[in-house]
Amino acid sequence: MATDSKRTGTIPRHAMAGEGPPPGRWSRLLDPGDTALAVVLLAPAALLLSLVVLYPIGRLVYTSFTDLALTSGAPAAFVGIENYLWMLDDDTFWQTTFNTILITLITVPGALVVGLGMALLANLPFKRKWPVRLSLLIPWALPLSFAGLIFAWFFHSEYGVVNDVLRRLGFEGIIWFNSPRWAMAAICLTIIWKTSSFMALIILAGLQTIPRSLYEAADVDGAGRWRQFIEITLPLLKPAIAVALIFRTITALQTFDIPYMMTRGGPGSSTATLAMYIHQNTVSFLDLGYGSALAVVMFAISMIFTALYLRMIRTRG
Amino acid sequence: MASRPLFPPSAVDLNREAVLATVSLRRLGKSYGAVEVVKAIDCEINDGEFVVLVGPSGCGKSTTLRMIAGLEPISSGEVRIGERLVNALPPRERDVAMVFQDYALYPHKTVYENMAFSLRMRGTPKDEIRPRVAEAAAMLGIEALLERRPSQLSGGQRQRVAMGRAIVRRPQVFLFDEPLSNLDAKLRGQVRAEIKKLHQTIGTTTVYVTHDQVEAMTMADRIVIMRDGSIEQDGTPDELYNQPASTFVAGFIGAPAMNFVDVTIENGHARLSSGERLPLGPRYGSVATKAEGKAAILGIRPEHFQPAERSSQRLSGTVQIVEPLGSDTLVHLEIAGGTLTARLPPEARPSVGETIEVGIDADKPHLFDVETGRALV
Repeated sequence: MATDSKRTGTIPRHAMAGEGPPPGRWSRLLDPGDTALAVVLLAPAALLLSLVVLYPIGRLVYTSFTDLALTSGAPAAFVGIENYLWMLDDDTFWQTTFNTILITLITVPGALVVGLGMALLANLPFKRKWPVRLSLLIPWALPLSFAGLIFAWFFHSEYGVVNDVLRRLGFEGIIWFNSPRWAMAAICLTIIWKTSSFMALIILAGLQTIPRSLYEAADVDGAGRWRQFIEITLPLLKPAIAVALIFRTITALQTFDIPYMMTRGGPGSSTATLAMYIHQNTVSFLDLGYGSALAVVMFAISMIFTALYLRMIRTRG
Repeated sequence: MASRPLFPPSAVDLNREAVLATVSLRRLGKSYGAVEVVKAIDCEINDGEFVVLVGPSGCGKSTTLRMIAGLEPISSGEVRIGERLVNALPPRERDVAMVFQDYALYPHKTVYENMAFSLRMRGTPKDEIRPRVAEAAAMLGIEALLERRPSQLSGGQRQRVAMGRAIVRRPQVFLFDEPLSNLDAKLRGQVRAEIKKLHQTIGTTTVYVTHDQVEAMTMADRIVIMRDGSIEQDGTPDELYNQPASTFVAGFIGAPAMNFVDVTIENGHARLSSGERLPLGPRYGSVATKAEGKAAILGIRPEHFQPAERSSQRLSGTVQIVEPLGSDTLVHLEIAGGTLTARLPPEARPSVGETIEVGIDADKPHLFDVETGRALV
């Protein structure tokens, strides 16, 4: 401020505060005095974030351009985009990426539909609310690997409850984990079961922000239950659904635990996901350079999906 | 907004069908478990009448309205609209329109879509919806707002849109649930006049719920005062003001509220605890004789007081507070151990602490039973 007034030879800005238009939010932020204060106040948070977010990402990207492998014992050498070029010819990479996107495209809409239904159900005026809420919370609170394990048993070809029910209904049992398609189906069903309660919780929160008087007005206006759902509930749930979709999509792209526990990616690599492939390269093969390059690709895919959603929300808003 | 004519003559014709839109409440009751919130009330609302249900919070007035609308299941008794028993009918089949306290406008729809919604839900052809919405919008002066969303409107504009949504349907009965409570005082007075004018224009049977006695007095053809789930009194604004059936009604209607003083009846006089005596006018005749020697409550409205020189009947009291309103002056006086409010001419400016005399119109005050609070005349 002092240098500012010296240079221009005018009265410092704060002295004129009473005159002229009131300074907007931005001009106040750009005031040198305020900027310094803002920097000081933001510094600790910025530093912490850089340390735990920016640095690891930077390090990951750097590693992806090296041949760092813990098996060789040799120091890492810079190899440029070699890891990325290698990926182009790597069938397992394409297979696992395809599987990941397939799982995302099936389980995200699936969980949305099931979660919406569950939320609508939970929003009904039950006398006792806690059993309903609890049944929503349990699948969500269950560890992913635990859910994978339980469902691996559900789909067990001999002892599983699914085949038992199928046989009682007169169908033949399915050897779920022997066929790529059935294995993928079992995994997707499990993921939908596990994640729809998260969708339901977010949508339920959205449902509860819709005032009851809107439904009463619609009742008087002549809209039946279905029209009320289409005309009021769905449009007013859009923001909640968008948030739920963003979170769910990002976690779907990172799917690891459930297929790992149910099939270990098999048969072959027909149900392996990109996250599992990264895990295999870095943890099993200790090939950190290639693993990092795969992780960068996964990061990029996540960012693309997120950007798409954000754009969708913005145009709707 | 204020100077705009709300009801251009061209918009008056609403093609009302020739059905008698009466509303009958017969032994209508509502209980939640053991709690009885509406206690078997009876009320007949005539075709075209503007009836205000008024009472303090929790008296059952809104519940009664919601039972008429069909938004609240009926526990006992009947609701009939135009002689049709509607107890079991859902709201949409009752041919009523309602204006909610929070307006309940659909936030994601434009004003036009909000107003057209009920017609669309009832399958009205598109080319009929547009002129009807335009007509209602013209009546309310909101033509310029049709493409806006509720979030872009002021409180008064939202209120108007809520009314527009109701009148566009041409229902048999309008139901208003405290529609002015979210408006500031100035706007409230303005919209109050507009609703009254709207009713005079289209003449639809209206049931209006409020806790504000000013709204009740200014708008109603007939006021139904409720208390603890029962009807305390049912009558025209004048009847309620001039012949309140109980201390409750007397204290509720009129602002500032009626003053109540404990008295004893003696030789056709009401004796205050201070020993001062007020003669009871001729209209108390037999009551004064029957209640001889008994305690009673004397109800004096602030406007029953006059400057001392205008009346031979006087009370003296110590001035506690002086409230000049411009149009008149409210003086709080300590009389017979209680505080009474007197409405005196604007030039009256007694000083605080001074003991003054005020006159009383001897035939105006009301007498109530000490135990039941019911009026003795």
